[in-house]
Amino acid sequence: MADKSELFPGTLDMLILRVLSRGELHGWGITNKLEQLSKSALQVDEGSLYPSLYRMEEKGWIEAEWRMTENNRRAKYYSLTRTGRKQLEHEQALWDRMSAIITLVTQSA
Amino acid sequence: MNFFRRLRYLFRRQATEAEMAEEMRFHLEQRMADKLDDGLSPEEASFAAQRKFGNLARIQEQAREAHGWGWLERLLKDLHFAARQFVRSPGFSLLAIVTLGLGIGANTAMFSVLNGVLLKPLPYANLSQLDRLYRATPQNREGHISPADFRELQQTKDAYGDVAAYTPANVSLSEPGHPAEMAYSARATSNLFSLLGVRPQLGRDFRPAEDNPGRDRVVILSQRTWQKRFGGSPDVIGRTIRIDGEPHVAIGVMSASFNDWRFLGGVDFFRPLAFSAEQANDRTSVMLRVIGRRTATLTPGNADRFIANFGARLAQEFPEANAETNWRRVTLQSVAAGPGAVTVLPMLIGLSGLVLLIACSNLANLLLARTMTRAREFAVRAALGASRTQLLRPLIAESLLLALAGGLLALLVAEWFGDWAAMRSTGDNGEQVNFIVDWGVMTWAFAASLATALAFGLAPALFALRLDLNATLKSGGRGTTGGRGHQRFRQFLIVGQFALAMVLLAGAGIYIGGLRDLDNRRSGWESRQLVTATIALPAGTYRDAAKITAFHRLALERLAALPGVASVSLSSFTPSFIWPEIRKFIVDGQDRPATGREPAAVVNSVSSQYFSTFGTRVLSGRAFHERDTAGSTRVFIINQAATRGLFGEQNPIGRRIAQADGDKPRWGEIVGVVNDVQSVVPEANPVVFQIYQPMAQEPRRENEIAVRATDVAPATLVDSIRAVMTELNPDLPVSKLQPADTTIYRVNYQNRVLRDMLAAFGILGLALASLGIYGVIARTVAQRTGEFAIRLALGASVRDIVRLVLGSGVRLALVGSAVGLLGAIGVARLLAAVYPSLPTNSPLILAVTTLVLVAVALLACWLPARRAGKVDAMGALRAE
Repeated sequence: MADKSELFPGTLDMLILRVLSRGELHGWGITNKLEQLSKSALQVDEGSLYPSLYRMEEKGWIEAEWRMTENNRRAKYYSLTRTGRKQLEHEQALWDRMSAIITLVTQSA
Repeated sequence: MNFFRRLRYLFRRQATEAEMAEEMRFHLEQRMADKLDDGLSPEEASFAAQRKFGNLARIQEQAREAHGWGWLERLLKDLHFAARQFVRSPGFSLLAIVTLGLGIGANTAMFSVLNGVLLKPLPYANLSQLDRLYRATPQNREGHISPADFRELQQTKDAYGDVAAYTPANVSLSEPGHPAEMAYSARATSNLFSLLGVRPQLGRDFRPAEDNPGRDRVVILSQRTWQKRFGGSPDVIGRTIRIDGEPHVAIGVMSASFNDWRFLGGVDFFRPLAFSAEQANDRTSVMLRVIGRRTATLTPGNADRFIANFGARLAQEFPEANAETNWRRVTLQSVAAGPGAVTVLPMLIGLSGLVLLIACSNLANLLLARTMTRAREFAVRAALGASRTQLLRPLIAESLLLALAGGLLALLVAEWFGDWAAMRSTGDNGEQVNFIVDWGVMTWAFAASLATALAFGLAPALFALRLDLNATLKSGGRGTTGGRGHQRFRQFLIVGQFALAMVLLAGAGIYIGGLRDLDNRRSGWESRQLVTATIALPAGTYRDAAKITAFHRLALERLAALPGVASVSLSSFTPSFIWPEIRKFIVDGQDRPATGREPAAVVNSVSSQYFSTFGTRVLSGRAFHERDTAGSTRVFIINQAATRGLFGEQNPIGRRIAQADGDKPRWGEIVGVVNDVQSVVPEANPVVFQIYQPMAQEPRRENEIAVRATDVAPATLVDSIRAVMTELNPDLPVSKLQPADTTIYRVNYQNRVLRDMLAAFGILGLALASLGIYGVIARTVAQRTGEFAIRLALGASVRDIVRLVLGSGVRLALVGSAVGLLGAIGVARLLAAVYPSLPTNSPLILAVTTLVLVAVALLACWLPARRAGKVDAMGALRAE
């Protein structure tokens, strides 16, 4: 198992939005997807996942709907709203600029 | 959007919580299934999943926070907790709420007065442009204006703006089939209402042409008169109403809001003000109340200058009438409050502030004591890691709850006070003050309550935060004693409370004493055995002096013939009240002072029996007699002050004086000197020269009747007097026909309202202060139980202990009273300044107040002191 990394603060929202931008998912699905995409480098703590989801739902970035899973189990599916999509673009841009700057500084120093 | 979602969460919380739980469960099951796939046993899988998931409740809590209502939920929880705390110690809660409620209540009630008197605008359009204009004389800063001067002012329309005038008078109202009644009427220039920016609710306004004699027989009714006398019927328009015996056509009815008690509120009827040619050029009869509406471009400063210059010009051009006068302008709104408002209101607010201060220091003591008993709890919680905010939150919640309850109680007090004030200060004509609890008053009550409760709720809380954890925890039960500084602070509060209570009580005492002296002042006259009444002869029936005199003679004759009557008099004024008529006089054989600077005297026209009826003594010369008539030599009687002032040591009898108007003085001979009389009304600058003239030589239509009873009760004469007057003229209204003392007692009713307010403040202050000292002494006794036990064990007697406790309390009360004495003397000075003729120099009252305070302190300390004496020495020592 690869080293587990701590997330930068504030980046969880962006990652969740990114994962949801490919289609709707339930909470468990999001956890799995993040682990899978990060090749198990990221382990999302449920204690931060759900508050983050509710916060973003409050802000109207995502919306939720109760539906049946393939195994006929009721689950709450989250999907991106229009504002959420905009927010994702915004955060992505911010992140890109930030990481570019950090890379620049760390490499030239 | 966002907000609505939050709101929805707030109301659908149950459902949302259930959804949240289901979502978590789903997550948990999925993880378990995952672990099972990894080959773990079901128990292991479940355990691993839960371990991974962590504390479910905590996650839910965090999620709930995300919903954004955490603070509210916490607050509600805190409030709930605070309410439970209150219920658990009902004694403390009740005491705190009542203390706060009464303190704020007194303050809020006074604010409602300020609000009702000063802040609430008069119901007129563009109020800021409206002025009241005065012609100030040395005697009267609020002097009225003569018709000729007013007509000159009307010419300055372009420079200043529009002006209107009115003059009030008692009139008789005699509807066929009703007994004649007296009503309060005002004659007003036809533009008065339009200048104020109001219109009659029913009918029409005056027309400009109705300002002319002969066309002025129209009348506009006040709302109250319309309702009271005409049943609110719209048919009243066009009806004929007989006023002063002459038919008038009702043309309009004013609205209810026009009945503002602060301005024109007592007027029943408005009639046009028509000047005869003679009146129009009259510069000496100052009778008009003048209101102006400044043109929009004229600044208040320029208006002041303009009016002052205008007055200066009049004083220069017409010195015989206007020398030594100054014209001045004040806004109508400020006049509405009345001359006393500027001095009395701040005093009332200040005194209610003192009550509030006492209440606050009580509250501080209460809450401090309570915090001290909980010091250990705070220390434990702090030691367990509670944050500063977490420690403070319940205290803030308690303060909020306290503020809410206290504010509500305060509003009740203010509401009740408004009813009381309306009831107590209803005017003679039914006009009522109204101090209502409006939004402003409500805001004041809750803001004051909140500020007070937070300040005194948080102060002890901050104190608690400063606590030394270790010391508190180690010292066990006695951690609650508080340090020396703490003890001193409490004593300081008690001293302060007693000082403030002293100020309040002494102030109230001085005022009560002064007002009682004033009400009972029969200086130079007496009122026992007297019945008095006021009549106004209708001008339509009694057109000239001969008619008036004939009526007077007949009335005096018939009244004197009644059984039980010792003597009867008619006069313009009675010695009980102020004589408003001021005239200037010159003395024959003395250098005539500069025009307008002649000595001023108040003048009373009286019938021959006046002096014997009122018991005013004739010191030298003679009283008036029946032979002093319109045809005989003019005669005067003057008082001692006028004798001293005009003639010094010389004998005034036989000397001649005359009124200082015109070039040809109409001399009259002084035939007598009587003693000075002083009314029961507090007057700022009373005119001390009093001059009497025979009623027959200047007959008046408005008269005061005075009947002295022999040895029968004066009240028994009332019916027969009324019968005589009705027989003489059924159209003649006789008002206030009752024993003189009843009428006299009524005149200071507004002052008595103030007196009761001051008394209430004093009693409230004393009650709060005694509660305060009781509380502190009781606590001290409880804390010093151990010490007392040791003292008793070492041989102190119970009396020693009681004396010890009493001494400590009484010492505080004495120090407080001594400090308060200074403040009380200040209040006495203030009252003396506001009511110059109020007797306020009363060391006796100060002494009595001090005694009362110390006695109350003794009683308040005695109860806990007795308990201290009963300490079970063995038990207390064993408990150590």
